[in-house]
Amino acid sequence: MPDRSVEDVTAPAVSGSKPPGAAEAAELERVRARDPEALAVFFERHFDRVYGLVYRLLGDRTLAEDMTQEVFLKVHRAAHTIDPARDPVPWLVTIAHNACRDLWRSNAWKLTRRAASLDGDSPLAETLSRGTNDPERDALRNERERLVQEALQKLPENLRTAIVLHDYQGLGHDEIAALTGVNHAAARKRYSRALAALAIILKGTLG
Amino acid sequence: MSPDRPESLTPEEARAREAVRSLGVPAADPAFRARLQRDFVAGRIGERRVLTLPVPWYRRPALRLALVPATFAALAALAVAVLSVTDRGPGWTLMMARGDGSVTVDGAPVSLASRADLTRALHPGARVSVPANAELELMSAAGLVVQVTEGTELTLPATPGRWMNRHVTGRIHHGEIRVTTGSAFAGAHLQVRTPEATVEVTGTTLAVICEPTGTCVCVQSGVVKVGARGGRMEAVPEGRRRYVFNDGRPPESAEIRPTEGVALGEFRDSRSRWLENQPR
Repeated sequence: MPDRSVEDVTAPAVSGSKPPGAAEAAELERVRARDPEALAVFFERHFDRVYGLVYRLLGDRTLAEDMTQEVFLKVHRAAHTIDPARDPVPWLVTIAHNACRDLWRSNAWKLTRRAASLDGDSPLAETLSRGTNDPERDALRNERERLVQEALQKLPENLRTAIVLHDYQGLGHDEIAALTGVNHAAARKRYSRALAALAIILKGTLG
Repeated sequence: MSPDRPESLTPEEARAREAVRSLGVPAADPAFRARLQRDFVAGRIGERRVLTLPVPWYRRPALRLALVPATFAALAALAVAVLSVTDRGPGWTLMMARGDGSVTVDGAPVSLASRADLTRALHPGARVSVPANAELELMSAAGLVVQVTEGTELTLPATPGRWMNRHVTGRIHHGEIRVTTGSAFAGAHLQVRTPEATVEVTGTTLAVICEPTGTCVCVQSGVVKVGARGGRMEAVPEGRRRYVFNDGRPPESAEIRPTEGVALGEFRDSRSRWLENQPR
């Protein structure tokens, strides 16, 4: 049974996103038909973006895996609604954001956060991103990423969303406004507040 | 992506923005990624993955339902078995054997000199014939002592159970037995049958004498009910006797026979200490 909530998702018009080329449009057409080969290519192309986004929003590897699976489940159910003439990225980002928002609103999440606050800060995943051939540089970068991710986790969820979508995913304020259901000015203001708050937190950790 | 108007940021804010923008792509668990891709491509994504273990036979609902009455039945059977084993106690115990020769038990002679052989042979339901010039005394843990006098033939009753089977019946074919009971016999019931009479004993000292002309029941203490076979039972108080004739005449009551009163008194006195020491 198709997931109505996903079919109803209207991806924001991404001003910076390019419409797919002919080859990609043909591929999306095959994704609409749930062609296994096209689905495999689609997965390879978008997995990192989806996983990265939900990981940065949730800050937990297990939750990120669950949420990524949730996103691709919704994509598979609503594959027939994909518009081959449009870039699917905003649609995927919207689905991922909505899934995270639903999780934050759930009682299970509130209970988890309450338990986490009692336990103290939950440790982040040890390895945050793919390494290079320079172990020392990797270690420094990983440590820096860990501190930044911890700082992001200290932000309220709406502020974290604003800064992750804008600076990590590269969405514009108008796109974020459409995605989060606020007007452009409010989205911009929220981003400013988020950045100011993050700057204060990072000043204490990064020095 | 979208060309937003440049923001005026403090150096700290600019550094924070740069820190977020430089965040890398987190590496997902390769196994998770591979499994998710496989499921996504195959259309199995989101299927519940439940490891189905074979249900042990004792957890199957039908069997469990059937096991409930079966378990109760087994427990009940076990309880009955335990009770029936522990209820009876050790049976008859030979207290005293006097005289020479041998006693006939179920048609087989057993020497009066061999106490162990006699004890083994004297089981409930055994037909025992005591010769002239011999005497036996049998006791039961249920607070009952039976003296079988010379020349008597009887069928031994079962010994009364501790909790169940408290009503037992024995027979005198001819001769005389003397019976006395202790406090452990309370609640038990011994019925003695002769060819012409029935005697109900619930706690007393008495003699049942089976003679050629009828049955004489002499009561030394307590109360005994006596009646002709199939006739009305009447209470015989202590110090009295009742004679049930075998020729159809109505039973007669009279004072206890003096010799029997003495014999019963001695019998009672000799066993009273033992009887009172029996646990209830």
